[in-house]
Amino acid sequence: MLSLRVALRFIAKSRFQSLLIVFGIAVGIAVQVFVGSLITSLQASLLDSTVGSSPHVILEPIEKGGAFAYTEDVRSIVRDTPAVVAISPQIVVPVLATKGEAAVPLIVRAGEFAGLDGIYKLSQRTVEGEARTGGDGIVIGKDFAEAYSVAVGDTLPLALADGTSVEARVSGIFDLGVQAVNEGTAFADSSLLAARLGLAPDEVNVVETQIDDVFSSSAVADEWRAALPQLEVGDWQERNAELLTALQSQGTSSVMIQVFVVIAVMLGIASTLAISAVQKTRQIGILKALGMSDSSTGLVFLYQAGILGFAGTLLGLGLAAGLIALFSSLAAGPDSGLFPIKLQPSFVTLSAGVGISIALLSAVIPYRNTARLDPIEVIQGG
Amino acid sequence: MGDVIVGQGLTKVYGTTHKTHALKGVDLNVQKQEFLSIIGQSGSGKSTLLNLLGLLDRPTEGSLELVGTDVGRLSKRERAAFRNEHLGFVFQFHHLLPEFSVRENLLMPGWIGGQRASLGAARARADEMLELLDLGDVKDKRSNDLSGGQKQRVAIGRSLMNSPDIVLADEPTGNLDTKNTEQVYSLFRRVHEEWGTTFVIVTHDRSIAEQTDRIVEVRDGRIEQDVRNEHLATSGSRPRTP
Repeated sequence: MLSLRVALRFIAKSRFQSLLIVFGIAVGIAVQVFVGSLITSLQASLLDSTVGSSPHVILEPIEKGGAFAYTEDVRSIVRDTPAVVAISPQIVVPVLATKGEAAVPLIVRAGEFAGLDGIYKLSQRTVEGEARTGGDGIVIGKDFAEAYSVAVGDTLPLALADGTSVEARVSGIFDLGVQAVNEGTAFADSSLLAARLGLAPDEVNVVETQIDDVFSSSAVADEWRAALPQLEVGDWQERNAELLTALQSQGTSSVMIQVFVVIAVMLGIASTLAISAVQKTRQIGILKALGMSDSSTGLVFLYQAGILGFAGTLLGLGLAAGLIALFSSLAAGPDSGLFPIKLQPSFVTLSAGVGISIALLSAVIPYRNTARLDPIEVIQGG
Repeated sequence: MGDVIVGQGLTKVYGTTHKTHALKGVDLNVQKQEFLSIIGQSGSGKSTLLNLLGLLDRPTEGSLELVGTDVGRLSKRERAAFRNEHLGFVFQFHHLLPEFSVRENLLMPGWIGGQRASLGAARARADEMLELLDLGDVKDKRSNDLSGGQKQRVAIGRSLMNSPDIVLADEPTGNLDTKNTEQVYSLFRRVHEEWGTTFVIVTHDRSIAEQTDRIVEVRDGRIEQDVRNEHLATSGSRPRTP
């Protein structure tokens, strides 16, 4: 324990230098945790706003525009896939919505409300009226409502391809954040249209699903392709290659930032510890002359690095938590334009490990130099 | 009384291409409880000899036995442990640790050796030593706050804390004024007489050497003269003339 005692004295004796090292490590760790959490949260926010309210894996008939039987066999395959968190079998009908003189093309997605809500989060994204599709109820998009002055409670005649028409009543208006969807999509209960289209009770045009980890959509799709060769299976990743590239680039840039921060912190600690070791050469020489072993004198710098690394890491994590809390409180303000950052436990663990490890690694050079130091050099040097 | 130092043919050569022969086959035996000095001009080889005796350096040739142990066979770690247990050092530049208090500097050899005595006993011994050295009032001060004479007395106290068999002092009064020099030698003499510790003191000052019981003069890496100082000799030293 003498090595630890000497290390503590060295730290205390060079307070200013020790504080500089601790702050150096702390800033590095704080940047690492903050930037890591920021980019992860940004990615989560971006994912939520882009694919959070859309299907991840889709089942369609091989023949485009056709229908297929959503049999119990198919249901069980979809339902029994552990990753699946939402399932929405739908009838997708192109209609002409008439409002006054205007006849506007609209895609009606008809299905059970629970399924539709699971995919499109309608109950969270309804800006007027109610997210309800039972009976003749229909939920339309904000841009469609504004463009054609349609309000909640209005009757909206929908002309089908066979010339017949259905009267729907607007029960709510949604905003999914995408103009094309807000303008051209409406949601209704399957009972509104199924009978008119002459579809059997288990026939649907598409089954949309969401899974817990959006990036595993390809794996789920591959699994279903193998199990359901009679159907076309699509996933959001293959249909949004550019978005995927952007998200992956962001992830890569995050890793690059982490790596450079780690290198900068490591160089900082290593150089300061090396200077500290040079400054303490005389003391180490004296301790060796008095009989302290090479390994015990080397341990002094290992302890010093460990203590500084631990203190710096702890302070850095505190700083990061403070920064994240500050950012989140700013993001919580109205119209802040910011997104909330969540402290990522994985980054906390990783950064703590990295902080202490690089501090210890930085002590390797002083450790080796100390082991090589011949006390006679110090004793004769005066 | 047995020999605590038995050096035979001690040779030290520095350098490989340009060789410097610092010591040329020195034989030196020192009996237990001797109080001797090694004198010589600068560059004569006296400090090299002391470094060999203190296990701070290894001879190029020759054998050395300290307190009955053939130290040439010891590993680096064993030599360090041997230094700690059997040898006490007093250097010209005192070499105290500024990060530690005066008392902690005294306790340091015990800490390094794994504290063979209990913590309380070690502290009591340190306090006793500080009183003996007239340093009781400054025991909690840092070494940098002391005068040159006080620092050297702390170094002497530190060298004695592990009750060493041999105290090796290299120009211990080189940086002190006459008054402090006198004090240091009085202390050495007192410790030698009371505790029977063997002292080997390197100095270039003949007047200081004359206060010791035996004077070994080194010149050009060889022992030029080895005489007993009859006037002051108090112990059973074994002078030898080459």
